Amino acid sequence: MEKKITEFLEKAKQELATCNALKPLNDLRVKFLGKQGELTAFLRSMKDVPNEDKPKIGQLINKARQEVEEKINELQRKLEEKVLEEKLSRQKVDITEPSKVPEKGEIHPLHKVFDKLIDCCVEMGFTVVTGPEIEYDYYNFEALNVPKDHPARDMQDTFFISDNILMRSQTSSVQVHAMETMKPPFRIVSPGRTYRADSDATHSPVFHQFEGLVVDENISMIDLKSMLTNLLSMLFGENTKVRFRPSYFPFTEPSVEVDATCPSCGGKGCKLCKGTGFMELLGAGMVNPKVLEMSGIDSKKYTGFAFGPGVDRLAMVVNKIPDLRMMFENDIKFLEQLK
Amino acid sequence: MIVTLNWLKDFVDIDVSPEKLAELLTNSGNEVEEIIYQDKYLKNVVVGKILKIEQHPNAEKLVVCQVDIGTKVTQIITAAKNVFEGAIVPVSLAGANLANGIHIEDSKLRGLDSFGMFCSIEELGVTDYDGEKDGIMILDNDLVPGTEIAKALMMDDVIFDVNVTANRPDCMSIIGIAREVSALTGKPLKEQNLYYETNNENVSDYVSVEVENTELCPRYMATALKDVKLEKSPKWLRARLVAVGIKPICNIVDITNYVLMEYGQPMHAFDHKYLGGKKIIVRNAKKGESLKVLNQNTYDLDEKMLCICDANGPSVIAGIIGGTYSSIQEDTKTVVFESAAFERASIRRTSRRIGVRTDSTARFEKGVDVGSPEYGMKRALNLVYELKAGTIVSGVIDTVKEQPKNRDLEFSLNRIFKLLGIRVENDKVLNILNNLGIKSKIDGDKLFCNVPVFRSDIENDADIAEEIIRMYGYGVYDSIETAPLSSASVTVGKHDKVLLLARNLKYELCDYGYFEAVNFSICSDDVKDKLLINPEDKMYNMIKIANPISEDLGYVRTSMANGMFLTVARNLARKNSGFKLFEVGRVYIPKSLPLTELPDEINMLSLCSVDPKDDFFVLKGIMENLLRDFEFEYKLEYSKLPYLHPGISADVIDINTNVKVASFGQVHPKVCKNFDLPEKTFYGEVNLDALAALKEKTHSVKALSKFPIVERDLAIVCDESLTVDTIIGCVKKSCGNLYYGAKVFDIYRSAELGENKKSVAFNFQLQSYDKTLTDDEINQVVKKVLKDLQYKTGAVLR
Repeated sequence: MEKKITEFLEKAKQELATCNALKPLNDLRVKFLGKQGELTAFLRSMKDVPNEDKPKIGQLINKARQEVEEKINELQRKLEEKVLEEKLSRQKVDITEPSKVPEKGEIHPLHKVFDKLIDCCVEMGFTVVTGPEIEYDYYNFEALNVPKDHPARDMQDTFFISDNILMRSQTSSVQVHAMETMKPPFRIVSPGRTYRADSDATHSPVFHQFEGLVVDENISMIDLKSMLTNLLSMLFGENTKVRFRPSYFPFTEPSVEVDATCPSCGGKGCKLCKGTGFMELLGAGMVNPKVLEMSGIDSKKYTGFAFGPGVDRLAMVVNKIPDLRMMFENDIKFLEQLK
Repeated sequence: MIVTLNWLKDFVDIDVSPEKLAELLTNSGNEVEEIIYQDKYLKNVVVGKILKIEQHPNAEKLVVCQVDIGTKVTQIITAAKNVFEGAIVPVSLAGANLANGIHIEDSKLRGLDSFGMFCSIEELGVTDYDGEKDGIMILDNDLVPGTEIAKALMMDDVIFDVNVTANRPDCMSIIGIAREVSALTGKPLKEQNLYYETNNENVSDYVSVEVENTELCPRYMATALKDVKLEKSPKWLRARLVAVGIKPICNIVDITNYVLMEYGQPMHAFDHKYLGGKKIIVRNAKKGESLKVLNQNTYDLDEKMLCICDANGPSVIAGIIGGTYSSIQEDTKTVVFESAAFERASIRRTSRRIGVRTDSTARFEKGVDVGSPEYGMKRALNLVYELKAGTIVSGVIDTVKEQPKNRDLEFSLNRIFKLLGIRVENDKVLNILNNLGIKSKIDGDKLFCNVPVFRSDIENDADIAEEIIRMYGYGVYDSIETAPLSSASVTVGKHDKVLLLARNLKYELCDYGYFEAVNFSICSDDVKDKLLINPEDKMYNMIKIANPISEDLGYVRTSMANGMFLTVARNLARKNSGFKLFEVGRVYIPKSLPLTELPDEINMLSLCSVDPKDDFFVLKGIMENLLRDFEFEYKLEYSKLPYLHPGISADVIDINTNVKVASFGQVHPKVCKNFDLPEKTFYGEVNLDALAALKEKTHSVKALSKFPIVERDLAIVCDESLTVDTIIGCVKKSCGNLYYGAKVFDIYRSAELGENKKSVAFNFQLQSYDKTLTDDEINQVVKKVLKDLQYKTGAVLR
């Protein structure tokens, strides 16, 4: 009996060693361990074993069973692993096939810039306000130190509705509303549409400005410069430098044109900036004391600065848009490029 | 403003290069837009004298000329007809690049050498020439062969196109720019000696002046010249005028133009014999008066227009343009000169009204100061004297009440430096201001300035701050770096409610595949017809622009639809398809027309889809999602928007306020036709102001039941008119407090069901908070649902 068990064990090991698939393994499991299996046959023949040997033989059979079982289980794990691996190696998608999620649309480049400007200014403590686009002459001109029949009116061709109502030619009109209603210190920005009777390759009759105004007790040209450096760096990159050139706007004094490092060449000089390394981006200045006084702010106590970039131009510079008209034609092929 | 280097040098020594000068001017506020070298096309062109002309042996139309070009005699072959032996002509030599693009090189013509070319005025870019314009330019006999042509023609000047800002009318003159140059370079202004001699006659024997409206004409100066000899001005004067773009005419007219450019003082010359009553009356025009002026048009004048009149009526529209009748003509013998100051706004208004703008207007409307006429008159008379153009009578009539005086103003250095953010040393401040002709001194914080009459722009601390910094140089800020607004008070930033809402909705629409468009808010008048808007609709009344740039852009939109439809149609025309667009913008609804108060400007979101996968219910789902953040109950009604399909559209109405928040649906087939849109075009709009006014949704979350949800599906047959909303409402009510949810999952129609019938299949869910529902309980609910449906709506189980 003992010998038979040992022989069985030996044979079982050999047979298992050559088994290399799950189905034959299952057959072996039945053959060795099943109800009609060889080990069960050993157990059945226990009745012929002398009583004193029964515990020993019993132990032997159990041990052999345990051993075979372990071997089979181990082999089963290995074979299953192998099957899975084979299966995985066959299951392979073309990961370059298109996605099944519907494609997203996109925000217009103009408004992407607007949103960036707004967020940056809100972070810097500015309140966003809006104002009417159809406006009284007073707010668009007179309260900004441009009386009726002033030569500065020639700086912009204004659409008029009536003698004293017009399509605002600048978002600066919102400055006046703010100064009338808010108590200093305050900081406002106002994004919006503006209108001028001008239409060619670089001018659109409908265009967009982003007005900024700060009124406080200790505001200087340096604050203007540092604020604009921060704003333009957000748009064009960390190393953006800002410089001033003298200019004239009736509502600021001193008035400046603001240039920033050309975003295309980083200041080295290129075709876009005509070799200067700088790009003219916006007008700004210190609020003219006359303007403060007209809106009831004590110009001896308070100073302020104002700035007003054309956002269409900023969007064109940021996205290297070659033609202003593309911005308003809204060709899907144009908008798709900005995704 | 055009100035020239040589002309500036009459007033101030300049030892910097033209480029450097341009940079100095630009960096101090007078931007030089262009530098033009007059001799740009005249290099390697010299004066030549034709010594001998022979027929070319090999060509019938060519002649061979021996030409003295100073350094040698050279051979030039020409086809020109107007050359002759002894003629002085411009000769372009090898290397010359002429104005018409021709590059000159030595060459052979039919076997003979030709070392250059004779030039026409076109090839040299000459405009002031009396001879034959097509042929070779024949020069004055006294010119020496070999002289550079630029010198010979007095075309060796450098021209600067300066962009003078509206606050600096004083810089609309050579002397004004010269003052700036002097301040920038530290070279003093040269004294001008405006000498002239007069005869013994008195001006009052020739003319009298009466100013009726001194407000519009604070100063009028006049004097007379007799025995005037009208002739061409000398070459140097003509050359100056040509350089600044003014056509020379005759000495008297040229003098007025010369003074206009040099001193910025517009002058006028009358023919004395046509001054009725020998009188000049400065007054407003009377109703019914008109005047034929030098541009050959006749203008009706009104009572707001200032005129220079004689005893008979208007002779000149003041400061703008002279009448033909009293102007200088060939037989003019006696001249009256005018040098005056007019109120700028009045000139600008009149100029706009009649649509005439001249060099005089350009100066008067910016402001000619009351001191200016005196210098202008002196310079004009000085030129008359130098040019021997006539005899000047004694005395100048001057109507000014009191001589204009410099203003003594006091400023605060601290406030100036507070604006600038930097301190400038006192010495430097004084130096800058004194160089600008503003005599200044400092006492502690106080800055005392004696501001010249011509600097009327200087009034407050900020004005002085600008004078200082533009001369000191804005470059000082280049190296200053501080944290933004570090010296300012702390303020808290805040978004605008409507803009923020718009932004959220926009990004959500992008998720649905929509692209943002930016359309014009101005449009044409026919929009209301194309959109089927009827006269009772408030969208019908569009605000009209008084001075539109084109018919297409003459009105302000009252609906977002037009711009959107045009954009969609444009895209379709360009073979784009299946796209979706939205726009955020305003519509402008007038309270009444014509506009007397500002209109309502309403912030709107519009969207449009020509995606074939979309239909009414896709759009409905998007709309529901856009509106979901707000606490309001709304109902859907068939839309009243005229441009939507009446049966496949909906208005979203706030039940509490009855305010329409949004509309959407299929575009009306007629509108599709009008705009060339496909039949299945879907459009929607949201009133952002109305939406933003709603309360944001709040939530109170219920505990979740531990017991299972059971579902049942039912299909009923009902009348076509029974809405899904009614069915679901009925089911909900029947389920009572066991109701968890219900939704329709299939609707179908068939002949079998019959006409005007449909089958609606829906699923509803039941749940109890107390127990697991038994089959009995569930079946009771199902029975009740069916019974109630039949009782209330007539629907039966299918």
